[in-house]
Amino acid sequence: MSVLEISRLSIHFGGVKALQNVSLRAGEWEIVGIIGPNGAGKTTLFNCITGFYAPTKGKVRYRDRNITRMRVHERTALGIGRTFQNVGLVKNTTVLENLLTAQHLQIGYDPVAGIMGSPASFEEERRLTERAHQILGLMDLEEIAKVRVADLPYGMQKRAEIAAVLATDPDLMLLDEPGSGMGPEEAHELGDTLLKLREEFGLTIVLIDHHVPLVTRVSDYMYCLNFGEVLAEGTPDVVRAHPEVARAYLGEEPAEPDDDTRVQEAV
Amino acid sequence: MTKELPAVLLEEEDEQFRVSPGGWLGRGVVWALLAWLVLAVPSNFLSPFEIGVTDINGFSHAAIFAIVGLSLNVLIGYTGQISFGHQAFVGLGAFVSAYVVTDLGWEFWLAVPIAAGFGAIQAGVLGLISLRLTGLYFAVVTLAYGMFAQESLFGIAAITGGEAGKAAPRPIGFESGYAYYYLCLAFVVLVLWLDWRLMKTKSGRAMQALRENPRVASSYGINVKAFTLLAFAVSGVFAGIAGSLLAHADEVIVPVEFNFQLALLFVLMTVVGGLRNRAGVVLGSVFFAFLGSGKLVEWFGLVGFVEGVIGLPKEFVALVIGPILLLLTLTAFPGGIGQQIAPVKMWLLGHRFDMHAGEVNEVEVTDVRA
Repeated sequence: MSVLEISRLSIHFGGVKALQNVSLRAGEWEIVGIIGPNGAGKTTLFNCITGFYAPTKGKVRYRDRNITRMRVHERTALGIGRTFQNVGLVKNTTVLENLLTAQHLQIGYDPVAGIMGSPASFEEERRLTERAHQILGLMDLEEIAKVRVADLPYGMQKRAEIAAVLATDPDLMLLDEPGSGMGPEEAHELGDTLLKLREEFGLTIVLIDHHVPLVTRVSDYMYCLNFGEVLAEGTPDVVRAHPEVARAYLGEEPAEPDDDTRVQEAV
Repeated sequence: MTKELPAVLLEEEDEQFRVSPGGWLGRGVVWALLAWLVLAVPSNFLSPFEIGVTDINGFSHAAIFAIVGLSLNVLIGYTGQISFGHQAFVGLGAFVSAYVVTDLGWEFWLAVPIAAGFGAIQAGVLGLISLRLTGLYFAVVTLAYGMFAQESLFGIAAITGGEAGKAAPRPIGFESGYAYYYLCLAFVVLVLWLDWRLMKTKSGRAMQALRENPRVASSYGINVKAFTLLAFAVSGVFAGIAGSLLAHADEVIVPVEFNFQLALLFVLMTVVGGLRNRAGVVLGSVFFAFLGSGKLVEWFGLVGFVEGVIGLPKEFVALVIGPILLLLTLTAFPGGIGQQIAPVKMWLLGHRFDMHAGEVNEVEVTDVRA
């Protein structure tokens, strides 16, 4: 059984065909990488999976359940967690607060009991804080627990965001450019972290990143999107060697200089 | 992580800081003075001031305004929706409570929860509208609602007594203005407790997340619509309680009390007090309560100057000073009064005295690209 199965998904914004007949699947415990030039539709695909966009055509299935029309928070409840391209954290609060907020769905007391100040809510809050600290410890972020997110450097915000998604207790984790703003060394470390998280939490991960060496290292299967269509798919070696992939990156897209070098070393 | 930690970490709260016995004594004295100020000043036998029966009602009003401020703080502060119709929220609570006590002959203690319930319902309806309209457009809707309530809703003579107003007797045991003041204080404490628990539990965190970033909130699994409505309902409950207390404080209420001027005063006192800052909002509300009733002008002996020389009724001074303070708050001190008092507050809570405590530097949050 596949965890995530997208079949012939299309989404059009007016005349713009952002995604065209995209099919993708991710199996249990798999890490699936998605690469592609800017504007290829990678993030749009995530938005369709998490429910921010309603696709024009096609289906999104999660564990054999059609979730194409489900609301965002309901999908989170099913176990779909995601990060955002430019850090999806509540930035005016601390990292710890974010992890508490992210545990929203696992909270036992009801909102009104919480407002009244029921003894159970105090007990539960203690438990939530404990779990938040556990996750922070696992992500090596313990020392920044009390720091406001906005005061953190970008790379650390990115790590904290992954911790926050873990706090939602996901089954399928969608990571939108977790390696952006990281140097090669940090990106390598991130790769190790992802592999470790899959081990410990039994996660299925779908990963978007421009950092091709990172994606090819951790992925079991890869997709390359271009102009809203799947250009190539297969094992990392197959995709990397695909001539169209190199063209898409180097030819038609005026990519940023550092992107260029990354792709060259990868291809 | 090999990256160097940001500067904020280095100046982390010095764990070793312990308050000396002398320090605790000093803090204790200030706490006692504050308690004395709140508890003893209005009552004749403990107070060095001569406060008459009419003046004590002013203090009750100040306490009630504090509840209104906390109610509005839930909306403006926690969810970021501005309401220019809050006088109608309070007014509905007042008329419902008066009706329950006078016409139905039920107890005051029953009238308060009923008024709170009506407050929640009407706020919930406005909340439904706010899911469709935000920002300026929603503010206009609340403004229109406030006008409608004052002119039409509160004018239904059968229920509200029309222009003549409605009697709202005080509960047994609290007939005197002094006793009633303490009753109002008790409700302030109750509302403070509820507000504190709100912010410390999942609803408060959900509200904060959805105010700042609805996309992130929903991806955390928060039902954005449900928690927006909950925020409105909580605000409505607080406003209903305040309305009920207000009705019985005045013992007779008339629709014209709940005019737009009052709504403006409510918004001013909440924002100037300092959004998302309980102590600040309470102080701001108390300040504006005395300013709005003209008491502050009297105490400073400026009635002659304001009314005689400038020709401004003393009740209108708040609407002149208020916007100036609002301007100062928005441009220079975004934390309002709460920011100003933060050094003292932190000191009182057993921290080191720090002039820079409570400085607000909210980051501009651009919408997360999703």
